[in-house]
Amino acid sequence: MNYTHPEVLVETEWVSKNPPGNKRKLVEVDYDPENGYKKGHIKGASLIWWKRDINDPITRDIINKKQFEELMSRNGITPDTEVILYGDFTNWFAAFVFWVFKYYGHENIKIMNGGRKKWELEKREYTTDEPNIAKTQYTAVPPDEGLRAYLFDVRRALVRGDTVLVDVRSPKEFTGEITAPPEYPMEHAQRGGHIPGANNIPWATAVNDADGTFKTVEELQKNYQPKGVTPDKDVICYCRIGERSSHSWFVLKYLLGYPKVRNYDGSWTEWGNMIGSPVEK
Amino acid sequence: MNQEFPILRKGSFYFIKDGNTDLIMEDKTKRGLTVRERTLDEKLNVEAEKGMIHDMDGIGHWVPIRWFFPKSQYNLEKVLEHAEAMEKKYKDLRELTCPDDSD
Repeated sequence: MNYTHPEVLVETEWVSKNPPGNKRKLVEVDYDPENGYKKGHIKGASLIWWKRDINDPITRDIINKKQFEELMSRNGITPDTEVILYGDFTNWFAAFVFWVFKYYGHENIKIMNGGRKKWELEKREYTTDEPNIAKTQYTAVPPDEGLRAYLFDVRRALVRGDTVLVDVRSPKEFTGEITAPPEYPMEHAQRGGHIPGANNIPWATAVNDADGTFKTVEELQKNYQPKGVTPDKDVICYCRIGERSSHSWFVLKYLLGYPKVRNYDGSWTEWGNMIGSPVEK
Repeated sequence: MNQEFPILRKGSFYFIKDGNTDLIMEDKTKRGLTVRERTLDEKLNVEAEKGMIHDMDGIGHWVPIRWFFPKSQYNLEKVLEHAEAMEKKYKDLRELTCPDDSD
């Protein structure tokens, strides 16, 4: 069985044979560009740095429409450009950027299956040369709020039987044993645990451990459906800061074709810090 | 593996363990961090197991988790000097911030 939207994925082999050009842009999305893009990237790729480019510099929020248009311009992207994303951390942040692109209506966008992990396992070439990019004019469409869940959506979901919450963090984060892995001391919350009623289906269960590629449709269905995460539900995914959950959002929406999936980017660092939010351990 | 070695000294922020060939100084604040490499720590000039911590910008920084002082070159007193220096660094840092409930 094929993915519902196979057009959103390309393989490393395809990328190696289809270099970027005027109508196709290759973009590396990193959480940690110093240990990623700057040490070496695929030839012709530009950089989107999650922290700097996708987040508002003052308010905790993703970039607004104007900031998104400026980001597209800096990366030489027009509304009809085919954009291939790949990145570090098994494409967590590439998936987050994919979500933001879709939020602002960019249609022709794909993810390189396996990201940097697979490219490196295959010992493919990197360069440190950065491409010269001519700025473009980009006009985005108004945000598609149907892709995004806010705190009030999640609060309302607690009493709705037709909405299912998917917590994609590790089991230790889910039970409240830890509030963030030790590598991320800046991303803790005041309380540990999970949103009441949420299903713990870690993001990693959707990928093959060996190379970070997505599992088959049959494997993915077995991963989600027995836990009640079915296509007839309104699905909300969350994690700690919204990046791993955008990875699972991508799987459910594009690989399995669920019609209503939203990413709660406020995630645990919002919920676990809010006074009065109910917490289950 | 190092958990099995006897503890010779401990502070609020460190352990010194009696390894087979090394005196092992551990930074307790780095417990749980995954060891990614064992390389020379240029500051103390001994081998150290290191992990990576990501700052507010997401940039990863290599940090030592435990240092291996060869018994052929270092005695406990010398390692203790390094451990107490680390202890002072963390205690000073704690003074600058708010002490938590664990005190």
